[in-house]
Amino acid sequence: MATINPDLKYSKSHEWVRMDGDVAVIGISDFAQDALGDLVFVNLPQVGDDVTAGEAFGDVESVKAVSDLMSPVTGTVCEINEELLDAPEALNNDPYGAWIIKVENITGTEELLDAAAYEAHCAAEA
Amino acid sequence: MSELKRTQLYDAHLAAGATMVDFGGWEMPIQYPEGIVAEHLFTRHSCSLFDVSHMGRLRVEGPDTVAFLQHVLTSNVQGLDPDKAQYCIIPAADGSAVDDAYLYRFFEDWYLLVVNAANTDKDLAHLLPIAKNFDVKITNISADYASIAVQGPKSRDLLMTLSGGVAVTEPMKNALGVLPLEGHEAWVAKTGYTGEPLGYEVFVKTADARWLWDRLLALGAKPAGLGARDTLRLEAGMPLYGHEMGVDAEGKNMPIFAVSLARFAVSFSEQKGDFIGRKPLEAQAAANKRILNRDFAPDALRALPRRIRPITLLDRGVIRAGMPVYKGEKLVGFVTSGTMVPYYQAEGEGLFTAILDTTAKRSIGMAFIDSDILDFEEVTVDVRGKRLRAGIPPYHMRVDAPPFARPILYDKLLIEENSKSTGDNTQKAIDLLYAAITNHEWRQNACINLIPSENTPSKAVQLLSASDPSFRYAEHKKIKSFYDADVFYYQGTKFIDRVEQLLVQEMRRYFGCTEVETRVISGQMSNMAVFSALMDWKNRLDRKHTPQRLGYVLNNHIIKGGHLSAQPMGALHDYIAVDPVTERSAVVNFPVCKDNIFKIDVEKTKEVIAEYRPELIIFGKSMVLHKEPVAAIRQFVDEQGIPTTIMYDMAHVLGLIGDHFQKPFEEGAEIVTGSTHKTFFGPQRGVIGTNWTKEDLKYGLWNTIETRAFPGSVSNHHLGTQLGFLMAAYEMNQFKDAYQAAIIDNAKFFAKALKAQGLDVKGDPAIDYTETHQVIVGVGYGEGPEIAERLERNNIIVNYQATPDEEGFTASGALRMGMSEMTRFGFGHAEFEKLAELMADCILRNKDIRDEVVALRSEHLDMQYCFTDAEFEKALGKLSTLIQK
Repeated sequence: MATINPDLKYSKSHEWVRMDGDVAVIGISDFAQDALGDLVFVNLPQVGDDVTAGEAFGDVESVKAVSDLMSPVTGTVCEINEELLDAPEALNNDPYGAWIIKVENITGTEELLDAAAYEAHCAAEA
Repeated sequence: MSELKRTQLYDAHLAAGATMVDFGGWEMPIQYPEGIVAEHLFTRHSCSLFDVSHMGRLRVEGPDTVAFLQHVLTSNVQGLDPDKAQYCIIPAADGSAVDDAYLYRFFEDWYLLVVNAANTDKDLAHLLPIAKNFDVKITNISADYASIAVQGPKSRDLLMTLSGGVAVTEPMKNALGVLPLEGHEAWVAKTGYTGEPLGYEVFVKTADARWLWDRLLALGAKPAGLGARDTLRLEAGMPLYGHEMGVDAEGKNMPIFAVSLARFAVSFSEQKGDFIGRKPLEAQAAANKRILNRDFAPDALRALPRRIRPITLLDRGVIRAGMPVYKGEKLVGFVTSGTMVPYYQAEGEGLFTAILDTTAKRSIGMAFIDSDILDFEEVTVDVRGKRLRAGIPPYHMRVDAPPFARPILYDKLLIEENSKSTGDNTQKAIDLLYAAITNHEWRQNACINLIPSENTPSKAVQLLSASDPSFRYAEHKKIKSFYDADVFYYQGTKFIDRVEQLLVQEMRRYFGCTEVETRVISGQMSNMAVFSALMDWKNRLDRKHTPQRLGYVLNNHIIKGGHLSAQPMGALHDYIAVDPVTERSAVVNFPVCKDNIFKIDVEKTKEVIAEYRPELIIFGKSMVLHKEPVAAIRQFVDEQGIPTTIMYDMAHVLGLIGDHFQKPFEEGAEIVTGSTHKTFFGPQRGVIGTNWTKEDLKYGLWNTIETRAFPGSVSNHHLGTQLGFLMAAYEMNQFKDAYQAAIIDNAKFFAKALKAQGLDVKGDPAIDYTETHQVIVGVGYGEGPEIAERLERNNIIVNYQATPDEEGFTASGALRMGMSEMTRFGFGHAEFEKLAELMADCILRNKDIRDEVVALRSEHLDMQYCFTDAEFEKALGKLSTLIQK
């Protein structure tokens, strides 16, 4: 069974968000990485790019397919996790440690689920 | 997913935690918990199991089976021998593919056709109506038999564990075997879809499927799913129906010749008659030929506008099927398969390239692109709106260095070494001399040389080889008007003329034959001159047509120890015919004994001779433990009245001719060839002997051999070594009895001593393992190169050798050793006993033995079996002084 970190908020498209002061730290859930399989490539935005809640900000590629990464918030990218460019498998190995982007100047947020609600959401999709 | 079909191993996949998907109507494992990347890598370094039971298994039988298969497949079914498989394509009338398939001939009387799972119904719908016109029965036996692909470098060991150590197939690709695996009947094929040089597909009864799967897992194999199967086949450059075959991205049927494998899978043999798609395929083949010769004229491109090529992404990203490919701004095609594929990194060069534990990934694929794009041309791929750079490599992976498949990286293919000589050469000249001194001292004073094809010639032979005639010419030819007297073209040749006459006399005495040719300068050249002469002789009465090549020829297969110089890839290359029925070289091999793969099976050989009636029989091997059965085969062909020529290529055993080994002409050989420096006393040359007299019809063939030596093979026949050869012949005729007895005695003794030390000595213990100068020792599959290198670090020089059940020289599991040189330096039982002990220390216990080897060698620096009396030494001293003055 996929693990769910109780301290995080989740989007229905399986990204997680952790608020670090005014900055949103964004990654993908264990459920997401398990469904995607071995990740072999990550396409990231650049620092300074604007992202919009509910729209793609990048994509991850597994051996078999490509999947969009959906932003749970609207704002400006202030940092990207460059280590993922060389080691996308970190998303498989440590989904809650391997953040993908950090977003500041947040002006909007998607509907986010707490851990219990997200668990129910995953159970319904599985 | 309730309507999906399930294979015999469905429960095993669930038990292993597989992710199951719908694959062409089958519920199949896409991956297991470790994931596609881990499964891919495990296949490349160990062994994976793939359930391929979803594929269609069709049994084809009946009186018209061959005619039917010739009609509905692209391959030449008449070229498929029992115990062999072949790749083939099921063609459509327009020259596109209905499917691709594999045809197996496990049994004499029926064929197994394996087709793609998703296409099985379509294939049957295509084949069954056609089958109505033939007396043939097609049965879908997919439910009765399961099939498991066992792929990877450890696959051979795992299957041999189940077979109780019996080889499951011959080592060649596409070889088949039917045998029990722990009591369960299995049909084993050396085939697969991963590109692994060691990989098998095993067919077992449905009831045995789970047993075989679980048993192989227990032995260390791991399951791999369809995901890894796809990345593995992609890396290997193998087409997948629906991607590289079938319908392209623009909805058009792809021509079969778009796939480079088509060149091997499609035959236009007469036997195939008007098979389905023949006409368009012929047009495609003609276009393919022009395109590969870089003729890109519009009419060449019409039949084959695009071809499937490997493609490597040079920018960061991943290419996927369907992405457009551009050259400049021109759309040139589409990616057909692509993903990120993992590989093990490697370091070091050549044979000692080490495969590391670290891995990396590369973005590679295949693309259906315009036929005029060249290898290494740069193109771009539209990756979701971004144009990324990509290159067209000739291949992504190579499998010519078993037991591992080797990834070929695009940037390493592009690196060109451009080292050039610069500066003054004085210091380089001095350095060269010192390097030569170091090498000479090391090889001659500190090393024990056990290479069976080498020998050190005596000082007299070496000095004579460097003396005056060595820089001269002495072309000569017999002239009939002068009663076959030799006429020389240059002056100053009277000395070498006399030398050559004496050499011929001496070698006639040695061979026990009537005629000898000594101008050929290597064993390989001796064989080429003979093959050329045989072909010329065959065509001598019809000079108005292109001469016919030789065929059938019976020889020893290279993997069974056959000499390279008697193979179609060696000296036979330009002289061997192609059998129009099988479309392969008209060569057939000596069968070997089941219980002793180093020995020719005489009774089976007689059957082969009766069936093929070879016009040339070539005895002789380079891995040789036994006498060749010349007399038995001579008797058989004479009794049966089979017209043939018996030749014995004695390259390795030339120095053993006589009472202690074989007398080839007495036993019935008509031609003997050899090289003069392996067991014979050197220098490095070739020689040909024949035993016909002037009354014989084939004396004309002897005359032809002479003209194919000169002017056919040499103009300058290297007079210095010809002079050295005469001295070597004197030595041999003087000392052969003692030398030959010692060499064979030493080989037998050494073999027994190595065995007593715990080494795996090959051959028959009943004859003390060998009847020649050679000893073969097994050191573990694939370990040969490393052990040989370790011995060299310890000053023992041997060569690593693939045994008759191994794939090739990089997978060698044995050492080949010869006793000639050390016997000549006076080694006897005591020395070989000590050497066996040291070698066991080095091979089995990885002990440093270098100092002891040097000590052993330094006690034996004087050459035996050569002239030593005072008058001889005095004359030799004069010659030596003269040369050095």
